[in-house]
Amino acid sequence: MDIGRPKRIIEIDPISLPVPMPEFPSPTTEPLREPAPERTPAEPADP
Amino acid sequence: MSPLPVAGDLLLSTGIEPIVAWRTWALTGHRDGTGLLLRPVAGRSRPWKPMQPVEAGCKHARLHSAPHVDCTCGLHGTHGLDILRRTRCPAVLGRVALWGRVIEHDLGYRAQFAYPQLATLVCQFCFWQWGTHGIRPDVVGWFARDELVPLCWSHLEQAQRYGMEPRRLLNADEIALGLRETYAIDPLVRW
Repeated sequence: MDIGRPKRIIEIDPISLPVPMPEFPSPTTEPLREPAPERTPAEPADP
Repeated sequence: MSPLPVAGDLLLSTGIEPIVAWRTWALTGHRDGTGLLLRPVAGRSRPWKPMQPVEAGCKHARLHSAPHVDCTCGLHGTHGLDILRRTRCPAVLGRVALWGRVIEHDLGYRAQFAYPQLATLVCQFCFWQWGTHGIRPDVVGWFARDELVPLCWSHLEQAQRYGMEPRRLLNADEIALGLRETYAIDPLVRW
């Protein structure tokens, strides 16, 4: 594709990048882990 | 921007806002419509990775960084739409943000960094014949090497008549939505 002759050079250092940021889970919205259920000794099997 | 004279006829400016220009892309994806990737329409250049700035490269990278004034390298964008009608097999039309070192030409730009901002699928035959009037595709044909070709019903029929038979047809609206979600960009609705 021919876009003609060069006219000027522009050095652009953007304040914010025009690229969407990936979404990270917020620490406050992270679901709380439920405590693991306590282990109870297995009941003896009926004879 | 404050222009400063540099060597030759070119002026040097600086800026803090990316330039937004027109651009077309080719599109690839899997047979189920996943794995959508924008690609340059020319050559076999690398795809544009979602959620990452694209950086220009040059086959003469040992000699200069891209874009270079005396080369054609860099990520291209154009001032207007009409020039894009001549691009080879465009599947996606959109607006692209350009930044870093940008060389402005009579009809467009070559840039160091880029990322798409707005996008829409186009039937390449409608776009070539009528510009932006009625370019909305109805289906997306899935071809060999994961090439995706958006087509209107009329041009799908013509393509099939000339032996250009897609291996599978996908819903154009679903592919358009998937593309926008992949790159987290908005639809191009006005031009």
